[in-house]
Amino acid sequence: MKQENIRNFCIIAHIDHGKSTLADRILEKTGALDKRELKEQTLDSMDIERERGITIKLNAVQLKYNHKGTEYYLNLIDTPGHVDFSYEVSRSLAACEGALLVVDAAQGIEAQTLANLYLAIDNNLKVIPVINKIDLPSADVEKVLGELENIGFNREEVVLTSAKTGVGIDELLESIIEQIPAPKGDKNNKLQALIFDSIFDAYRGVITSIRVKEGTLKVGDNIKMMETGAIYDVVGLAINTPKEVSVKELNAGEVGYVFASIKGIQDVHVGDTITNADNPAENRLPGYKPMKPMVYCGIYPIESNKFEDLRESLEKLKLNDAALTFEPETSKALGFGFRCGFLGLLHMEIIEERIEREFHIDLIATSPSVVYEVILTDGTKVLVDSPAKMPRREVVKSTLEPYVKCSIFTPSDYIGPLMELCQEKRGNFINIDYLDTTRVTINYEIPLSEIVYDFFDRLKSCTKGYASFDYELIGYKESNLVKMDILLNGDIVDALSVIVHKDFAYSRGRAVVEKLKEIIPRQMFEVPVQAAIGMHVIARETIRAMRKDVLAKCYGGDVTRKRKLLEKQKAGKKRMKQIGSVEVPQEAFLSILSTGDSSNGK
Amino acid sequence: MENRLIGCYIHIPFCNKICSYCDFSKIYYKKDIVDKYIDELLVEIDNSYNNDLIDTLYIGGGTPSSLNLKQLDKLLNNLNNKFNLSKLKEFTIECNFDSIDYKKLDLFRKYGVNRLSFGLESINKDNLKVLERDIDKDKVKDIIKYCHKIGIDNINIDLMYAIPNETKEMLKKDIEFIKKLDITHISTYSLILEEHTKLYINNTKYIDEDLDREMYDLICNELKDYDHYEISNFAKSEEYESIHNLKYWNNYEYYGYGLGSSGYEGHVRYTKTRSINKYLNGDYIKEDGIEYLSEKDKIYYQIIMNLRTKYGIDLREFEKKYKSRLDNHYNYLKLIEEGLLEINNNHVTIPKKLWYISNSVIVRLLEEEV
Repeated sequence: MKQENIRNFCIIAHIDHGKSTLADRILEKTGALDKRELKEQTLDSMDIERERGITIKLNAVQLKYNHKGTEYYLNLIDTPGHVDFSYEVSRSLAACEGALLVVDAAQGIEAQTLANLYLAIDNNLKVIPVINKIDLPSADVEKVLGELENIGFNREEVVLTSAKTGVGIDELLESIIEQIPAPKGDKNNKLQALIFDSIFDAYRGVITSIRVKEGTLKVGDNIKMMETGAIYDVVGLAINTPKEVSVKELNAGEVGYVFASIKGIQDVHVGDTITNADNPAENRLPGYKPMKPMVYCGIYPIESNKFEDLRESLEKLKLNDAALTFEPETSKALGFGFRCGFLGLLHMEIIEERIEREFHIDLIATSPSVVYEVILTDGTKVLVDSPAKMPRREVVKSTLEPYVKCSIFTPSDYIGPLMELCQEKRGNFINIDYLDTTRVTINYEIPLSEIVYDFFDRLKSCTKGYASFDYELIGYKESNLVKMDILLNGDIVDALSVIVHKDFAYSRGRAVVEKLKEIIPRQMFEVPVQAAIGMHVIARETIRAMRKDVLAKCYGGDVTRKRKLLEKQKAGKKRMKQIGSVEVPQEAFLSILSTGDSSNGK
Repeated sequence: MENRLIGCYIHIPFCNKICSYCDFSKIYYKKDIVDKYIDELLVEIDNSYNNDLIDTLYIGGGTPSSLNLKQLDKLLNNLNNKFNLSKLKEFTIECNFDSIDYKKLDLFRKYGVNRLSFGLESINKDNLKVLERDIDKDKVKDIIKYCHKIGIDNINIDLMYAIPNETKEMLKKDIEFIKKLDITHISTYSLILEEHTKLYINNTKYIDEDLDREMYDLICNELKDYDHYEISNFAKSEEYESIHNLKYWNNYEYYGYGLGSSGYEGHVRYTKTRSINKYLNGDYIKEDGIEYLSEKDKIYYQIIMNLRTKYGIDLREFEKKYKSRLDNHYNYLKLIEEGLLEINNNHVTIPKKLWYISNSVIVRLLEEEV
């Protein structure tokens, strides 16, 4: 394969702008898959991805396309679209020379369109703007062209497509070949290959996705991970077409998979550089800046004997998700589990869902927390990522919480409700930028903890789904924070404690106990639910005692029937957690998240 | 060798009227079918009865009293001849007030019946309309009086509550009426909307859960002078507790004869067919009607049945029967800690204040399987 005939590119877009469908159409057009083989969104190999319509893990596929008599090899590297995953986008970008920036013809530019564009520019990629979904009745191509011009593109370079009908795909492929530069790098240099993804396969161990930047990698080579120092023999190399095809070597500029019987999950870091152990390169490739988790929560198996299984599943997920962190923690209420760190709420939900689906472990997740800074009276600074770690109030001098700069991209009609929302979320107004007469970016400083709660849902509901947002951490600010405990039947349930701003503690406490009363089913006894700060109870509700239990007559000694009834009742309560004498359903632990509804008047 | 003592249940599926809530095995009374049924029932008994000593005999339904005098005579006469009743302690027949009369009662007396169980359910007109039943209050009083006169003093009356639109006042009147009858036993059940019943098909809704609970509490309170020995059963005093029904709750063995009946013998629990055609053709056992019991199954039944009564699980008896302690099977001590079970004198029981939700307590215990 000639290097000059290779094109490495990815597709970046705001969530839902048709990235995965476009990828499918490209696969179809290049003959990689025929229509019959093409399940919708082939690149999204996980069920969750297909169901949620979003791409979580990246994926690379090699396509062949004949252009003016020459065969080209196109390596398409898929990227996720959600704000939580901008880290993974940057991983994909580092493996490419070009990017397709996809914009929905009806919705126009959104917050992540811009965020992704800046990332691509930072990575020196050639960006091809694409307006997709031009078949939609609501498509307004002219308007979107104008928006693209406003952010610095020429109208002439924009490709118009409909991934649904296939219009414009040939033009797009030609544009990729003509506009995106071929990779550079010399196959005679010392080996430098970037690991941009990895997964765990039960039969073959860790499989890494790599982009060879310099040199050549051959089957049988002795390779070294430059960061971890681990050394392995390459037992196989492959490309994905999207069927797996074995190859003998991968040269500078190429993308593929490495099998090296790697059993030690810790040895492989995404972003690390692979080199030849016998003839090593001097330097690692610039990796990515490691992402710090922004949101933490406790994850516990419902069945306590699944703790080790949970550890194993987290280790496997961490393999291609460097941003996921975890360490063991114990809860009085929930037993042994892990404190896990995530990039954001969606990231958290997806990890939880993957553990439940792929590893079959029923989980309880506690309410998420951000990382607070607490300055003690003796001047020491403590990082608090869990309410359980909040120091006693007597020794606390001051508390700080992380703030983000939040950019909300919205039609100007919704400025009013959005500003109201941001004020309610303790935001400080920065400014409004007008993109054109109808589209604006509203900038606010908001505590991250408010974003973590129900900000996204509220944003969507107060703008009929039109607004999108992006945020970046800007640092810590002093804030009057307290730990609020929740008591069930008089006992503190540590897993339900939250850190809240003192001025908002009362309303949140009210909302939480009301929500818990709603979620926790009637118990055998009356159970008080209380919210308290220290010894001071700020809200209280009562879960009433259970009423209906079937008092059926034991007709003529039909005891088998009684057994069936009990078995049915038993099966119905599987997913509850016994806390003291109270049975609590899983969702109670997340209930603290959705309490925003009550202030919404819903 | 001395034969064991065992209970025996006989099912008479016939009724003159079908009540709207009943999902038990029942058929409209038709003389020739009843005659055939009695013949077949006697054949069934001949086929499998092996001369065990029967100490409790219970004829239930349906409505056994719907049979005519001649049919009852034939049935009771044959049972007396076929069964070894030398140790008989309790012989119950279920009756309905609309089909019972003095002559039938005299006949029962003659054949040794010493306990009667009457389906009354309610005397309130609105309730009766929902249940599609009829009651003549004067006849009720008259029949009970006659029972006393001929010396059948051990009488149960069934009371149903939680009937759609029922109020606590209505229920209280029902209870007062029953108490005045001077009977020895009251069974009380909340209305259950079972599939395949008229009420269920008509999409009837349960009464408010809280009201249901208040009604149960009202009954317990109104009957506080009675011996509340099982969740749903009240006896005037301990001597009037139903010996036959206690066999179910004590997990003892009993024969089951007749359409749709259940029995428990040795390592088997069985249920008979509900199809009258199959039954009359001698095809007695229901499809999937046989459950072979492992030791674990037996312990399971022991627990779920025992916990319905004030006697609970007798730990000594349990150990003797299963050669193993209860806590080797279920961690009941945890529930004692949680206040869901009590232990007194080696008997593990559900505290009375939790009887109403006994199923939930039992399910909790089943979750604590070792």
